[in-house]
Parts: sequence; C-alpha cells; structure tokens
Amino acid sequence: MNEREQKNGFACLQLPDEPGLECLRSRWDLESWPLETRNLVFWDTFEWGVWFGGYLLYSCENLYQLTERLERWPGKPLYEEAAPESRRFWQEFETGPLRKALRDLLGLRGLTAVAEGSFRRQLHDLRNEAGKVICRLELRSVSELKPEKMLLQVCQVLPLRGYETEAREVTACLTGAGAAPCEQNPVDLLLQKSGNLPHRYTLRPDFGLEKATPAREAIGTIVRTMLAVVHANLPGILHDLDTEFLHDYRICLRKIRSLLSLVKGVYPAADIQQIRATLGDLARQTNRLRDLDVYLLAREEYLGLVPPVFRPALSSMFDDFLTERETEVRNVIALHASSAFQQLLHEVSEFFAEEISHSTSPAAELPVGPLVFARIYRRYRKICKIAAGITVSTPDAGIHQLRIECKKLRYLMEFFNELIPGDVPTLLQKQLRRLQGRLGEFNDASVQQSSLLDYRERHTPGPEVALGLGGLISILYQRQQQSRTLIGQSLDEFCSASTAAIFKRTFNIPASLIKTDHYRQADQ
Amino acid sequence: MNIISSYSIKGGVGKTALAVNLAYALCESGHRTLLIDLDPQGAAAFYFRMGSAKKLRMQDTDALADGLRSNIRESDFPELDIIPSNLAYRNFDIVLDSMSKSRKRLRKVLEEFKPEYDAIVLDCPPNITLLSENVFRASDAIVVPVIPTVLSQRTLEQLTSFFHDEELPGDILRPFFSMVQKRNRMHRDIMAELPLSYPGFLKTVIPFSVDVEKMGLHRMPLLAYATKSEAALAYRALCNEILGKAVTQP
Repeated sequence: MNEREQKNGFACLQLPDEPGLECLRSRWDLESWPLETRNLVFWDTFEWGVWFGGYLLYSCENLYQLTERLERWPGKPLYEEAAPESRRFWQEFETGPLRKALRDLLGLRGLTAVAEGSFRRQLHDLRNEAGKVICRLELRSVSELKPEKMLLQVCQVLPLRGYETEAREVTACLTGAGAAPCEQNPVDLLLQKSGNLPHRYTLRPDFGLEKATPAREAIGTIVRTMLAVVHANLPGILHDLDTEFLHDYRICLRKIRSLLSLVKGVYPAADIQQIRATLGDLARQTNRLRDLDVYLLAREEYLGLVPPVFRPALSSMFDDFLTERETEVRNVIALHASSAFQQLLHEVSEFFAEEISHSTSPAAELPVGPLVFARIYRRYRKICKIAAGITVSTPDAGIHQLRIECKKLRYLMEFFNELIPGDVPTLLQKQLRRLQGRLGEFNDASVQQSSLLDYRERHTPGPEVALGLGGLISILYQRQQQSRTLIGQSLDEFCSASTAAIFKRTFNIPASLIKTDHYRQADQ
Repeated sequence: MNIISSYSIKGGVGKTALAVNLAYALCESGHRTLLIDLDPQGAAAFYFRMGSAKKLRMQDTDALADGLRSNIRESDFPELDIIPSNLAYRNFDIVLDSMSKSRKRLRKVLEEFKPEYDAIVLDCPPNITLLSENVFRASDAIVVPVIPTVLSQRTLEQLTSFFHDEELPGDILRPFFSMVQKRNRMHRDIMAELPLSYPGFLKTVIPFSVDVEKMGLHRMPLLAYATKSEAALAYRALCNEILGKAVTQP
C-alpha cells in the first residue's frame, strides 16, 4: 500500500474492463463527476536524474509539474511552471523552487521525453436511499497514445468519516466482481511500452572480476564494458543533447587507452599500439569542442571573477566561443555519423570481442589480481619519487607529468576497485582524489591562461576586451600559484609514511608469490 | 478555533437554517468546520441526509468527548463534518448536572476538537437549561435569529437579562433579523428600533424566502442548491460579519 492507501486503509484496486463499477448500482446510486483527461509527457535525463532523485517531471499543455515518484499516479505537484514544452536545462526554468529542484536533479544534463500517456481520472459518489453520499470512488486509467490502448484501470475507495462500514461493503462488492489489489505503477507501464527503462548509469561499473581471473579475460571484459558506455553516449553526441555525452565519451576513450598502456604484455603489443593510436585520434578530434564546452559552462564563473566594468566586453569573447561551438558541433556530428568512424570503432570492438582469439602474450594468462596490484604499487612509488623532486620552482610541465601519473594510478584503482580488500580503496582514493583535484585546478589554470592568450592572438580584441582578458589571466595565474601550495600539502599527505604503509600492505606482492619474471617483464 | 452557536429561546425562528447555512458558508471560506446538532429533534442532521447519532456514554468529560468523536460523520461537502443529534441528548442537563464545574464542561469537551477544526457550529435546542448555559460559556459568539415581532423582541430581552443575572459576557450575543418580510410594516418598525438597544446586533438581514423553506425538500444547505439566491447571499454576508469581515448587505 502506498502512503495514501495506508492513510485511508483501503487498497487501490485494479478493475477488470467489464463490469467496471456496474456491480455497485444494484445497492447504491452511482453519480459521476466530470471526467478529467490529461496527456502527459514525462521528462528525464540520460542518467535518469529525476527518477533516481525520487521524482517525476511531466508536462501537459505547456505546464511543467514535478511530483514525488512514490505518488504513483501523477497527482498534486510539488512545484510547477508554465512554459513551452521544449525546456532542456534547469537554467531555462524560471520559478524559484522548481528551478532549484531541477538544478539538483539534472546537474549539467539535458531533458528528453522518455514516455507519453493519457491519464484519466473520474470521481464517483455512491449514495444511499436517503441520498447521502456514503462512499466516494476515484477511478483512474492510463493509456498509450499511439495507438491509444488502455494499460491499467484502478479504483481507489475513498471512505467518508463515519461511513467506514459502507466503504468496506463497497470494497467487498468490487472484489466480488473481480477487482484485485493493484501493485502496478502506471508510469512504469508507460516506460516499459516506450522501451525507456530507468537504469543506473555509471562511468565506474563493476566488471565481475576476481583476483584469479586471467589477465587477458579481465582486460577484455573491462574494455568491452567501457566500449558499451562509449556506444551509449554516441546518440547524445549526435543530437548534441548536453555536454556530458561528449565528456563521458572522451573519458571512456582515455580510460581504455590508459588501461591498455598500463597492462602491457596482456595483448600483442603491436595491435595494442594501433588501437591506442586509433582511440587517441578519435579523442583528439573532439578536443576543441570539449575546450569550448568547458569555457561556456564556466562563463558565469569567469565573468564573476573580473570587475563588473569588464564583463560586457568579456562577454563578447564567450559569444565568439558560442559561435565557434556551433561549427565544432557540426564537425563532431559529421565525424561521428561517418562510416569511417563507425568502421574504426567497429574494428576496436571486434578486437576485444569475446569470441576472437589472439596470439599469446607473456602476461595473458597471469592472474589479474597480483599483476595489477604490482603495477598499482609500482605506480605509487613512481609518484612518490616524482613528488620528492617537486619544488616551488618546478616548471608547469613537471606538475603536469605528476598529474598524468596520478591519473593512471586512479584509473588502475578504479578499474580493479572490486579486487581491493576492505576500506582501503575508499581511504586511498579519497586522498588521491584530493590530490588530483588540486593538480587539476593547477592544470586548468595553466591551460586556460594559454588558451586566453591564444584567443588574443587570433582575434586581436579591442582595448576593453584586452583589459578584461588581462584581468582574467592575472586571476588565473594567482589561482595557479595558490594551487601549487595546496598540491604540496596533498602530496605530503599522499606520500606520507602511513599512506605508503597502506599501499605496501595492500598492493606489494611478496617476491615468493611471483613465480615468473612475467610480472616484471610485462611491466617494462 | 471559533465556536459559534445558533441559539434562541423561541422555536421556529430559523435557528437550524442558520446553523446549517452558517456551517456551509464557513467551509466555503476555507474553515474546516464541525456542526454539532444538540437539538434532540435532529433537524440539522436531517438537512445533511443523515440519521441520528449512536447513543453516547456521558458519565464524564472524556467519555463524552470520545462519544462525540465516534459520532463525527463526513457530510457530502468537503471539510464539513456533522455530529448528528440523538434523542438521548434530552438528558444532557442531567448528565452535566452530575459533573463538577457543570457549567463549563462543554467548553472542555469542545477544546478536544481544536486540532481538527477551525470552526465549530452548535445548533442548540430552544430553551434555557444547564446545557444552554454550557453553550453560553463555551461559545465565542451566540448568534440569535430574531423575527421582527413583539414576541421575538421579548425573548431577546429575556436572554439579555439572563446574561446579566448570570454575569455572562453580553458582547458575545449577536442577534440578527431573520425571516424578514420587507413589506410588513411591523417588521420595518421593529427593525428600525430594536438594534439601537443592542450594540452587538448584526447588520445583515436574512429575508423570508421560499428557497429556505425548500431545504427540507432538497435536504441540503440552501447555499448548496440556490447558491446565488438572495437568502444565500445574505447567509454568506452574515458569516463574514460574524467573522469580523467587512459586510456589504446584499
């Protein structure tokens, strides 16, 4: 029973099409209220942010409404806003509470229609001989629209205070005529019919690995899973639904490339080199679009960094980015819709297909657990070694190198998270995430400075824009310097004796367990 | 919570019509309302197509409150509940008399309903008894229908004297003219003079109306079936005036 049913103590009943409510007429007068019909379009994001947030967002005749999902039947909305039914991002909504709720549920994601259906609701009064209403019934139904077909019809008995006995008699009469408690959810049914079932989306899926899984089998599983994520993001890129499709697509390509470089010896080296080059090419072709997305997403933040007087001028730079983005989107869409692209991706997928066998490699059959742990530990020690050489005067390139190494370590730990025992992954990944966050800030500030300088070179802006740019570059430079100090603190924590001890205890494989030199050879 | 009583020593003055329509008007203006029919004749509940209440156990305040609560019935109209009458209510006086602080018991019982309702309307029997005195001490306003006749004038004077003798707050007495026939000269004369002696006299006038008489046929408040009739508008105005809102006499 849902909350409402529990409150009035009467279950929602699923009604057979015939005889419906007719069975009640022999005992009571049935009086019907006007029928309400609403065609609802349900909206959600690729990640089902609204659904998993516990809500439903739907629109009807240019009115958006947000309700709690537990309500089952879209009823009294929590928030609503009249707006044309073409809204995609939370920023496009105006009313305070709805916009705020959607900001949390949608993030950077865009809305798309996920289901559509016709909802009917009608109240009926049952009157006794004196003409007194002794019970009310709420009849609801949901139908598909094209072609119109009823999916579910339910009846909620609404008892009147002081007339509970009569309500029980009504319920008995309905169940006697074939009505039964209904557990079905109308929105679930519509989603099933539309083929859009809510599912958890993640860039860090579980791969079902065990320590003893042969390395090639494990890596194949991981790559196949990540390629499925790549494919899942392509439609969003082709329709430019939001920036996160491209972002996640690039992350997947990068993670696969990184994995392949970190576990040498598992597949034939020449093939892997070729695949890494292909994936690198694919990612590079989207570099500019991603850069532009990053700038445009940070537009308000950047404008807020400079004094108000510079903002209008600087805003024109973002308008230039927006125009350039339109061109880049067209390029990226054309690229990803091309048969050449499809062929490249197909070749990569086929290489890792389960049924394809490749020639042997030294580490192919080694158990993946010890192999990967050895590499995680080795990577950690390498980071600590680089960290020891970092000083205030280390060039930006040195910090960048450290960031790349950290990223490789993080990817390894994420991919094989499920093999790492106990709470270790959470603790170490927390420290690593903090360090990476700071390295990322440093790198972003550095890249953005060069990018702004590049914009100045290419566009020769007027004096006001130039002033604004100068101001922005100065602020970014200061941020970069602040990040440097924070990186030092995070490195001290990450390379501390206690963290090193955890890494050693968890990932250092005793020499006695390494039967062959393959672990070492494969890692050369 | 407002406790408003429809009361008159004299019968046949439009007391139950007032209680029923006032309760309905209160709901219309957003008040969750409970109408308690204290008159053993049970006319108020009849207008809502209800039978009589179950017999109450009335040995003490708690039992009385529980008994009343178990008799609450939802009317056909949203946010308007009724406690129908029962012939046993004729013994209210004897029951109240046996309780300590017997003149203030009803107020204590009605306080129990505060969380559920914004307003309680009491339809009282036409007499002065211990129950009436409880009603006087429980109510925020005693609304008294007065037909502009000499006899009604006399009963209003009796009521005022009673309030004076028993040191009850006279300002809660809110008489108003009921069943008024504008063409009747005596009505006009009394209406011109009587209010001058009663500062709490309500300005709204309820006209004599066949529509009101038909409540027995429709078995529902006038406001529900003749929603824009002159009398219905007058009842709404009366409700607003009792609630202290600005009044425009229809």
